[in-house]
Amino acid sequence: MAKQYDVLFRLLLLGDSGVGKTCLLCRFTDNEFHPSHISTIGVDFKMKTLEIDGIKVRIQIWDTAGQERYQTITKQYYRRAQGIFLVYDITSERSFQHIMKWASDVDEYAPDKVQKILVGNKSDEEQKRQVATAQGNKLAKAYGMDFFETSAFTNHNITESFTRLAELVLQANKKDLDVLRVSINDKLNLAALEEEEGVCDSSSDAQKTCWC
Amino acid sequence: MARLEKLENGRQPADTVSLQTVGSQLDEESSLGSDSEVNGFPSSRETDKYGFIGGAQKYSAESAQDVPPEVLRQREVKWLDMLSNWDKWISKRFKKVRLRCQKGIPPSLRGRAWLYLSGGKVKKERNGEKFKELDSMEGDPKWMDVIERDLHRQFPFHEMFVSRGGHGQQDLLRVLKAYTLYRPEEGYCQAQAPIAAVLLMHMPAEDAFWGLVQICEKYLPGYYSAGLEAIQLDGEILNALLKRVCPIAYKHLDKHKIEPILYMTEWFMCAFSRTLPWASVLRVWDMFLCDGVKIIFRVGLVLLKSMLGTREKLKACPGQYETMELLRALEPKYMQEAYLVQQVLELPISVRNVEREHRVQLKRWRKTHGELRYKAAPRMHGARIIMDAEPHTRQDLRQKLPWHSDIWSSKADGKLVD
Repeated sequence: MAKQYDVLFRLLLLGDSGVGKTCLLCRFTDNEFHPSHISTIGVDFKMKTLEIDGIKVRIQIWDTAGQERYQTITKQYYRRAQGIFLVYDITSERSFQHIMKWASDVDEYAPDKVQKILVGNKSDEEQKRQVATAQGNKLAKAYGMDFFETSAFTNHNITESFTRLAELVLQANKKDLDVLRVSINDKLNLAALEEEEGVCDSSSDAQKTCWC
Repeated sequence: MARLEKLENGRQPADTVSLQTVGSQLDEESSLGSDSEVNGFPSSRETDKYGFIGGAQKYSAESAQDVPPEVLRQREVKWLDMLSNWDKWISKRFKKVRLRCQKGIPPSLRGRAWLYLSGGKVKKERNGEKFKELDSMEGDPKWMDVIERDLHRQFPFHEMFVSRGGHGQQDLLRVLKAYTLYRPEEGYCQAQAPIAAVLLMHMPAEDAFWGLVQICEKYLPGYYSAGLEAIQLDGEILNALLKRVCPIAYKHLDKHKIEPILYMTEWFMCAFSRTLPWASVLRVWDMFLCDGVKIIFRVGLVLLKSMLGTREKLKACPGQYETMELLRALEPKYMQEAYLVQQVLELPISVRNVEREHRVQLKRWRKTHGELRYKAAPRMHGARIIMDAEPHTRQDLRQKLPWHSDIWSSKADGKLVD
């Protein structure tokens, strides 16, 4: 049976309610934009396979409810992520200010090695803009993150931002990746953390390596 | 039938208006460059008998079970009699009421029946002008902001909620805002919006408000409160019940570390209103408002059992991802009205089972998480218990005439209000 992917890992979308997390995800995985959609309650996910440097990367992207109240539930999944999108809405100053809070939660609950990028969504709504591109850049720099302004509506920077985060995760786990290159027949399951025993052992064999 | 339902529920027959609004929304969107196919609107723009113009929950002959008109007529007569002698029926012949809820409440009387079953009717009459008062107040900007962002994200394929700023969305705002003012310490939780929207499809805003109050405080207390502990606890209860009802599914989920909160949050918090085909949603709510949360547990268990109940089925989902995919895309045949209702009625999970498991899981929770931060009032398992807790007379069920309401509410001050 042909191998469907070489590496498997998990990304997480975080940000205030209504910034467009679900729409970003739909655009990326299905290339669709739905003006009529429902609010996310709890957690949801979608899958997509990318090819990066000849490696088939299967990513599972978790979509979360943005309302603060849901964080007791969604925080339980931070530790399972290898990469995190911090999303705000360029037409909402408040959603931008909250990025700091989201980032500090990530520091607290996500694995140390987790990769993050900052995303300012709804870039098509220029006339309603409240957050300048420079502000986004500045914040991203302060946190040492890459930054993208995106539009799920016009499909601007969607593939770019998802691919970038996937690359960052791959780079951050380069050591394990080299192991993979040697034994290319093995699958690397970065997201194996909770499927294995919660704690991972870096000396385990390539097939069971988890990058956390 | 659909028309009768609208008239009975005190809403004007809005077919023409709503079709116009559907049209105008489509025009607005096409000017933005998206096409109607992408939005999922059927080109015919026809509403089904429940008011859906598209989406996964729209009526299909396979998903629903049609009742012959003469049977429906008989049921309507029976329900009208029950509703006019409600206190007696509930206290003396509750089993019959339950049986009739299980058979399905006639659409024309569903809104009234739900309001009576939930105790919302009594609450409304005892609280006189309360809703009007809340409705006229300014909302807390903190909550208004979140609520407003959610208005167009509830049943976007239902004629009432399809147009931005339309009457459905306006009423939804009024009901949700009123709740945040009624319980400022609770505020607003996103999952309350679909609950309120389902109620609004069947009753005017004031009634929907009291229905929402009852669901939040009597049927599912703590579900929408900060911390969301109650829903997590119910996840554990569901899991424990699954172990008894369908060990094979339980073992599979356990093995792949698929925690209940991953698949049941939306199911339970929205009382399946976003999950099932609409005919099934209505039947589940008929039973839920009569018998309480055990119905929600049973629906969850039936779905899990149907999807993951045999070795054969598990072969198709060997890993965590496949299993989660499967639970996100439930097979229509297991959600079909007749099948689902039958299975739910047959599943031997009683209130006692739920309560017993509640105690066990609460004990475990305290060990691992410490004391619950939010102390919800005890859950009330259905219409009978709600009425027993707050006995009412026929007087309480009578609509107060506007010119009486002032006298009545001043007399009632402090004694009856809430």
